Amino acid sequence: MSNQRKRLNGEREEDDEEDAEGIGEWERAYVDDRSWEALQEDESGLLRPIDNSAIYHAQYRRRLRILSAAAAGTRIQKGLIRYLYIVIDFSRAAAETDFRPSRMAIMAKHVEAFIREFFDQNPLSQIGLVSIKNGVAHTLTDLGGSPESHIQALMGKLEALGDSSLQNALELVHEHLNQVPSYGHREVLILYSALCTCDPGDIMETIQKCKKSKLRCSVIGLSAEMFICKHLCQETGGLYSVAVDEVHLKDLLLEHAPPPPAIAEFAVANLIKMGFPQRAAEGSMAICSCHKDVKIGAGYTCPRCKARVCELPTECTICGLTLVSSPHLARSYHHLFPIAPFDEVPTLSSLNDSRRKLGKCCFGCQQSLLGAGNKQGACVTCRNCKHYFCLDCDIYIHESLHNCPGCESIRRPKSVSLMEE
Amino acid sequence: MIFKIEDVTVCFPYDYIYPEQFEYMVELKRALDAKGHCLLEMPTGTGKTIALLSLITSYRLSRTDFPIKLVYCTRTVPQMEKTLAELKLLHDYQVRHLGDQAKILSIGLSSRKNLCVNPKVLAAAEENRDSVDAACRKRTASWVRASENPNVQLYMVKFANVIVCSYQYLLDPKVAGTISKELQNESVVVFDEAHNIDNVCIDALSVTVRRFTLQGANRNLNKLRQEFYRFKASDAGRLQAEYNRLVQGLALRGDVSGTDQWLANPALPQDILEEAVPGNIRRAEHFVHVLRWLLQYLEARLDAENVEKESTVSFVSSLTSRAGIEQKTLKFCYDRLRSLMLTLEITEADEFLPIQRVCDFATLVGTYARGFSVITEPYEERMPHVSDPILQLSCHDASLAIKPVFDRFQSVVITSGTLSPIDLYPRLLSFNPVVSRSFKMSMTRDCICPMVLTRGSDQLPVSTKFDMRSDPGVVRNYGKLLLEMVSIVPDGVVCFFISYSYMESIIATWNETGILHETRQQKLVFLESQDAVETTSALDNYRRACDCGRGAVFFSVARGKVAEGIDFDRHYGRLVVMFGVPFQYTLSKGK
Repeated sequence: MSNQRKRLNGEREEDDEEDAEGIGEWERAYVDDRSWEALQEDESGLLRPIDNSAIYHAQYRRRLRILSAAAAGTRIQKGLIRYLYIVIDFSRAAAETDFRPSRMAIMAKHVEAFIREFFDQNPLSQIGLVSIKNGVAHTLTDLGGSPESHIQALMGKLEALGDSSLQNALELVHEHLNQVPSYGHREVLILYSALCTCDPGDIMETIQKCKKSKLRCSVIGLSAEMFICKHLCQETGGLYSVAVDEVHLKDLLLEHAPPPPAIAEFAVANLIKMGFPQRAAEGSMAICSCHKDVKIGAGYTCPRCKARVCELPTECTICGLTLVSSPHLARSYHHLFPIAPFDEVPTLSSLNDSRRKLGKCCFGCQQSLLGAGNKQGACVTCRNCKHYFCLDCDIYIHESLHNCPGCESIRRPKSVSLMEE
Repeated sequence: MIFKIEDVTVCFPYDYIYPEQFEYMVELKRALDAKGHCLLEMPTGTGKTIALLSLITSYRLSRTDFPIKLVYCTRTVPQMEKTLAELKLLHDYQVRHLGDQAKILSIGLSSRKNLCVNPKVLAAAEENRDSVDAACRKRTASWVRASENPNVQLYMVKFANVIVCSYQYLLDPKVAGTISKELQNESVVVFDEAHNIDNVCIDALSVTVRRFTLQGANRNLNKLRQEFYRFKASDAGRLQAEYNRLVQGLALRGDVSGTDQWLANPALPQDILEEAVPGNIRRAEHFVHVLRWLLQYLEARLDAENVEKESTVSFVSSLTSRAGIEQKTLKFCYDRLRSLMLTLEITEADEFLPIQRVCDFATLVGTYARGFSVITEPYEERMPHVSDPILQLSCHDASLAIKPVFDRFQSVVITSGTLSPIDLYPRLLSFNPVVSRSFKMSMTRDCICPMVLTRGSDQLPVSTKFDMRSDPGVVRNYGKLLLEMVSIVPDGVVCFFISYSYMESIIATWNETGILHETRQQKLVFLESQDAVETTSALDNYRRACDCGRGAVFFSVARGKVAEGIDFDRHYGRLVVMFGVPFQYTLSKGK
């Protein structure tokens, strides 16, 4: 929205438009955003941004509440083994400079961060990359589990030309994803910067085809909301969002990293064969099956066919067995059993004294919970262990750690339970 | 949902209601309680139709001792169909929640092409609408169906609770007689999308006569003479009976059966004198002579060199001095023609339209001394070299046609999305509303960004003033504006121009300078034309282009077919560009 407003302002400006594009981002930030108003002095006279962390936290909590309201006590089945295709639109609209330095540079940067985060949270899943250029869709990389190869292929050639065709991309992705085993969740994430799509046929038919193959298509738009993208996402059950600036784009992308809820009728319980390879001994020599080269030492041996692979998680090239290690599974596990949101503690200073006695330090980082003056600052508390945490620890616990330190440090007499409910 | 407004329980078929809909219903109820007329303005898209329908039907249910009928008038057939669909939804909801007492009968009245069920008549619908009506009449004229039931439509009007029809059924005196007779005074009449109602009223009482009308009228007269002689030879008794009737001064209306209403008088009912037809036109052959003299005079008038404008009184006096036809004779032209055609049993109404029009003209000229003027134009404005003379009887006073409606019915509701300035209407239509209110649309966020541009990007002022229209700088600036907008706005863009000629010339210039070509790279281009079929197909393709993501631009004309009554909602109308301000065409003599 602000991008559009900027552009409209540029059209009505009396100065030449070409120059306005060349003037740096910093001047724009002065004129439009007035960045000096976002600063204020704190007690010691140093400048710091206006305390918007409370806003950030409120937003975050709202998000969480929505998610857990949807769960409502029941366990949601989520697709842990995801086969995701990222479709990036490299048509001429991607060369627009409303995102600095250009849309495709920003897209590439954030997709790289997304890929890493994705494999972090979903070690059992695979990603493939598709680009749209000149109205034709090309496969940049096939489905694979190694982040490096994807990132290399993406950063290889960044150029934007021609029209964009949504139908061609969907057809290509549909073809690829049809070969995926049925226990895997098929997803497509489209980063669309164009405003129209030039298709060779009827795109509605393609959308119906995708819907039938249980392909979940989500779109992140970079220019404006388009009806066809909204329709696609509604039909297939995906999410449609439009990014207004760079930070927002990053947030939207990262929203797709955790696994989405599985559609009930499609998620049939299955037993999947997996291998847990042993690490090869130091000094052992073998021809590695992924590089076709002699490697010494560090590597893993497939338990079924004894072929050597370099890194995990991966699929054995010889026998096709999914090879993972136990930490990978553990990391996927916490999506199924999310940690319950912490309760907010009201910050009234006229609370009874017992409260004030307890909440001196955050249990997680041991920093003082008292805010300005001697009043109690904003803090949260865990329902189970009743410890207090500051806002930053709250975010960290829920987004990265997925375990409450207070609950973990409770000594259980007999066995240590793995899960917290 | 069901809620109460003061003492009326209102059944609203949706779960959510806008605050302005609720206020609208409250004001409407007040007007109904006061048994007066009202003017309500509420923006399009806020659910006016359903608010109206649900309040009035609920009002009727709550006042069981005074059953009121609802007459809902719309302007176009698609609007009528939409209203009927909403009514059906409402009806289902009401029956579900209130039981059988909520059952209502509602009928839609339209030109027979749209709603007639007789298959043979529908087959004739490929031709023009008038011939359909004629074909229908062939079947329903009383002497053809002498033994069958009277016209089903009129029968149903008596029993229906809700009638949906077009404006003509209430405003045009030629057609209004059929429906108004069957309606009681306690009916509520609603005129929806009534911002142009003054135009409709004026058109209902205006007549245009051209050269080919007069030629057609001459042919009709010859045919009438032939029929007359044929009848004289075979069945002279009928003609004599007619003469006797006229001598005795029996009111023609009362004698003719109610189904033969297709030859209705163009003047308003209260202006038709209850008198005997004057002596010089009682005999059929005399009447035909009089008509011929009238036609000759009109032909002479059409040969005038200059534009002339005069009042009806002076027109009639010059007619009297030149052709010897008096004003009283003119007044009865229509009735006499009707009686003659009935006597001669003529059913091909479409053939006799020209002579009917001439008689309309004569009757109106003779009846009204004020509020009309007769204008002769030797050629049309745009083509000064082509001689296409036109004689117009145009009505100035919009209140004439609508006065009977206001006098007759208890509550008349005039509602529209754009009734500004709202205090103009009471003066224009000369009535006193008890409620006159304007409502605003409530929106949860800023979703409209209106802008006015007076300069192009190169700082030249842009305008569609007549002298600036062909200025290449202006054309280029408009083109640049369109191009830039088209490259940032997704899905559908609608552009309005002030007239067809302007639109065609500016698009031709854009085509030459390559702007149209570049626009086509971003979006497909569709144009409205004066042909209805072409425009409908263009609109259809425009919607398909917007749906499948290709994006499209639609060029149309303000006050054209598309501008009035086509919804460009959601992604079909992401941007609307109005090139210029559409002023009235003040150089037209009629206006």
